Amino acid sequence: MSESPVTVQPSQEQQPQTKDPSAPNVEDLYLESYAFTTAAAIVGSVDRKVFVLLRDGRNLFGILRTFDQFANLVLQDVVERIYLNDESNTPKKFGETYKGVFMVRGENVVMLGELDIDKEDDHLYELEQIPFEVAEKELKIAHAKTIKDEKIKGKKLLEKGLINDFVKSDLY
Amino acid sequence: MLPLYLLTSAKSKEILIELKNGENLTGELVNCDSWMNLTLKNVIQTSPNGEEFLKIPEIYVRGNHIKYLRLPEEIMDHAKEQNILNMEQRNRNQKRRGGNQGGNYNNYGNNNNNNRDRDNSGRFGGGRDRGHFRNDQQQHRNGGGRNRYNNNNNNNNNNNNNSQNQNQN
Repeated sequence: MSESPVTVQPSQEQQPQTKDPSAPNVEDLYLESYAFTTAAAIVGSVDRKVFVLLRDGRNLFGILRTFDQFANLVLQDVVERIYLNDESNTPKKFGETYKGVFMVRGENVVMLGELDIDKEDDHLYELEQIPFEVAEKELKIAHAKTIKDEKIKGKKLLEKGLINDFVKSDLY
Repeated sequence: MLPLYLLTSAKSKEILIELKNGENLTGELVNCDSWMNLTLKNVIQTSPNGEEFLKIPEIYVRGNHIKYLRLPEEIMDHAKEQNILNMEQRNRNQKRRGGNQGGNYNNYGNNNNNNRDRDNSGRFGGGRDRGHFRNDQQQHRNGGGRNRYNNNNNNNNNNNNNSQNQNQN
């Protein structure tokens, strides 16, 4: 506790002098001076645009409004986007749709990351946009295929005395 | 504002729930608790493949089966308004209470803590200390479970002591 004023105060004094818009603000410096390791690590992403990957493979993009110790998340202005890969597993097409306010139960979250709103759309220019419903159908087929493949893989591994750690609901 | 608090302010609003198995439920939120267990009314249940629909007047969802909830757009503003209203209400109550009995003023804002205390007195040893101060009340409230047991022990000890004393005598 005694260290925090030492690290924060200099930047508070400097900021009015420099007035550099790209300089890290006081709030960020303050947060960085603490090592949050559990759910509190995302406190810095509140009110920022984030990407959330769910266990069923959903990609959600929205503004993180609030969260709790279970990583239950409340996201606003959510867009769900489906990326469709080709045979070499590189994304070629995407479909997206607006979904509004989401409250995600923490146990279904695989990962969450802050987005750079200046660059987040750059990669989409190289992809072909298709209607969301079409993307959904294609994704369903892709999922069915992975489930089938994993089943076969599981059987083969079992013959060798190994187990394949796969559950149908984990499609991320 | 925590997610679950936001959910409580979504009561009587139309929400969509997706369960972990892919089923969808849309209906009016009646109630929810801190485990995210929900009760809904006028529900339409959609099967994971989206082909079967079922109309259910009332339903209870155990929280751990939920994948996510979709809330109405206006919920953020609604929650804020409710929060302000609650605060005002609380302030008014505080003033009223403050006039009657000044001592309670500080304690009153901590509704949560009070609830937690009450829980503790039931489940954990927390109530014991209080029991020392007002044993009688505690016994009435809890049906006397733990305390009566303790008292019996004490009585037994006393009896033993008495009998020992008698023997010594």
